Amino acid sequence: MRNSILELNGVTFTYPGAEQPVLQEVSLRLEEGDFIAIIGSNGSGKSTLCKCFTGLIPHYYTGDFTGEVTICGQPADGKSVAELSKHIGYVYQDFENQLVRPTVLDDVSFTPLNYGFADYKERGERALALTGLSDLRNEFIWQLSGGQKHLLALAGALAMDPEILVIDEPVAQLDPQHARHIYDILRRLNEEHGKTIVVIEHHAEFIADYCKHVVLMDKGRMRWQKPVREALSSVKELLELGIYPPDVTRAAWLLQSDARLTQFLPLSAEEGNAHMILRQHAIQRNDPSDYMKEQSLTVIREEKSVVQMENVHLSYRTIHKTKHPVLNGVQLDLRQGESIALIGNNGAGKSSLMKLIAGIVRPTAGTVNVKGMTVNGLPPERLSSTVAYVFQNPEEMFIEDSVRKEIAYYLKARKLPDTEERVAEMLKAFRLNELAERDARLLSGGQQRRVSLAIGAAVRPAVMLLDEPTANLDISTKQEMVHVLDTLRSHVETVVIATHDMQLVSEWATRIIVMHQGRIIADGTKDEIFADGLLLRRAGLAQTQLMELSRMLGLPKICSSLEEFVSLVEVKKEVTAIHGSR
Amino acid sequence: MEAVKRALDRISVEQIKLELLGTAYNSSSTFLGRLDPRTLLLWYLFFAIVPWFVHNRTVLLGMFVLMVLTTVLSRVSPYIIFILCLGLISQIGWMFILSLFFGGGIESLLPMLTLTLKLSVISLASITVFSSLDPERLSDGLLSLGIPDTFAFSLSYGYRILPTLLEEFHQILLSFRLRGQRPLQHGLLYWRTATYYLRIVILAFYPLMLNTAKRSRTTIEALETRGFSYGLNNKKVKKIKLSYLKMKRSDWYFLSGSTVYVILLFWIGYLYPKLVY
Repeated sequence: MRNSILELNGVTFTYPGAEQPVLQEVSLRLEEGDFIAIIGSNGSGKSTLCKCFTGLIPHYYTGDFTGEVTICGQPADGKSVAELSKHIGYVYQDFENQLVRPTVLDDVSFTPLNYGFADYKERGERALALTGLSDLRNEFIWQLSGGQKHLLALAGALAMDPEILVIDEPVAQLDPQHARHIYDILRRLNEEHGKTIVVIEHHAEFIADYCKHVVLMDKGRMRWQKPVREALSSVKELLELGIYPPDVTRAAWLLQSDARLTQFLPLSAEEGNAHMILRQHAIQRNDPSDYMKEQSLTVIREEKSVVQMENVHLSYRTIHKTKHPVLNGVQLDLRQGESIALIGNNGAGKSSLMKLIAGIVRPTAGTVNVKGMTVNGLPPERLSSTVAYVFQNPEEMFIEDSVRKEIAYYLKARKLPDTEERVAEMLKAFRLNELAERDARLLSGGQQRRVSLAIGAAVRPAVMLLDEPTANLDISTKQEMVHVLDTLRSHVETVVIATHDMQLVSEWATRIIVMHQGRIIADGTKDEIFADGLLLRRAGLAQTQLMELSRMLGLPKICSSLEEFVSLVEVKKEVTAIHGSR
Repeated sequence: MEAVKRALDRISVEQIKLELLGTAYNSSSTFLGRLDPRTLLLWYLFFAIVPWFVHNRTVLLGMFVLMVLTTVLSRVSPYIIFILCLGLISQIGWMFILSLFFGGGIESLLPMLTLTLKLSVISLASITVFSSLDPERLSDGLLSLGIPDTFAFSLSYGYRILPTLLEEFHQILLSFRLRGQRPLQHGLLYWRTATYYLRIVILAFYPLMLNTAKRSRTTIEALETRGFSYGLNNKKVKKIKLSYLKMKRSDWYFLSGSTVYVILLFWIGYLYPKLVY
């Protein structure tokens, strides 16, 4: 048995003023060199648990605390947050607020400087090298991209060379390739530098690929701590808590006969490939020619055009007074009734494209037409009844003090006679009746999204633009979002979503536009786009496990839903045994 | 009116942000920008206070010449010079108009010119120093002159957070505009439109403050986990932090040059107090 590096013994904590404890009798033991994922639904106490590690609880949040915490063999009792922080680096979910200095090198060496290390700059440099940021050392924080900021927050936590790293949702805002990059760095820190790593993670596919153990939290209690395969194979239990194991695991679980319930399930596409096989009679049932016909049918239905973009260019001025091109000659035609997914890596120009349609920015060259109006230079007020733009960060949309007033703002400003009815209708459609009088800023992430969509839908716009509607949501809230987006269909003619979330794309979109370096590099239906693995990789996107596995197994089509997939495959007769450890 | 509209169109929040940050941080490339912050602060202390007590126009004019020189040396953004000139001219303008009412004439301009001269010396000195000192070095300079840690840190953090705040302000303003209704007619001299914009600019501050308050929770926790309070008022930390500050030869040249110039100036001013007018 390896040395334990962190132990919690019967920890119970109640926030001041709260009646229910957020943590109840949690006992757990982290081993040196482990890579642990903490999972659980929203409000199950994951973040609170991690704050116990750093001593923020109970030193900073003075609630009701009982139990013992031992860090690196020493009791944490009586030690200050500053002392404990030498052993633990913490990266917050809203990591941007953790960067307190103006330049990269300043920020990364901030912690060692505070502890009075004369070699604070070298320590900072070392941490930058570990995260691959060395070239950016003199950049200003506000010039970094989201992914770089996250790496910097990680580097800042590494600068003190702590034994333990705690990262709250490392990949929530990143495109799949950047997300892999972060996890690859974490793996290297874990394997080569012997750091113990704790992540709070919703994406089971990352847990399957990178983590060694899983801790499941439920309503403030720790349910169990298991090796990763055993943990993710408990499909039924996880689904009941609203946690979704990897697609392959779920597919295998659906396919298996009840007799072998305790079996370990495959976690990755490769393992799935060894485990499953194309169903014998599947091909007859799903004749490819049938499927082609179905596809061509959707193409024939030409609808009225809603948005046209003619050779649109856009560039921004930078601090060095140079022009930075964001869009280079975009040609686009969006039609009525389409559900469009705009995909591409961070910085491909997705948000800029949407801002052009909403009239928020003006193209440097070319024209944008929405419903016959030329948008170039029209004030956003003029467009707002035609185009609704929902920001990535819902908080930036909240300008009133209750959900009801937020939704009514647009209608009241125009003194529409049916304001009351429309607000009531929206509250009902987006299930906000109980939250109507609350301040939207104080709602949970998923609820805030629903409010922001209701605000947009109340306008009854022709086009609705959504920027990353599923970022920062846990998977079950995300699943719910897909339904909410279906609600939207009945209020809006055309919906455009910019997203990294391929799951969402595959479940929701009817048309996919792929952007890369300010250009549209592909535009087509789901099946056309998803079949082209190279294209996806070039655009910085990853295939979902199901897509990958569909290809490996040679299915007649690339599956996007679990049901479809399960109907096409079966478990191999002679399954190669899967072992518990990986 | 059209010209004003076009000019207003060009001023965007993004533009202001770039200009502000450019002025604040793009300074280490100039001669003055490479000086030690303490040198600049001492120098500023003199030129911000002494002109108030000097009435000798020759001396003031000499100081003004020096300030123009340092301002040119520090390559200040033309926007800021423009704003300064606008301020000075409008000030002198309305005082002159006022003096006309009370029976003054052209001759009343001269004493006003003295005041303007003083104000310009002080303003130019401020512009020179603060555009040559980025917030970091300003904060470190103040720290080394004995200002409390927390104040020095808040100064540099204030600048760090400024672009974030501006961006968020911009977004919230957009939310108001995307959901609001601009007056359908501009009204006489655009008064309706102007009131509309003024109103949302003011309203946008409330959500901004609430969101900032929410965000600062993480910042405060993070400061704690990053050892901020551990390093606070710690002499060793302060020493390490400021160890890069060094009075170089150019600092001494600059200080002694300025001193000699000022002494000469007072001497000439004593001999020819009415050199100009």
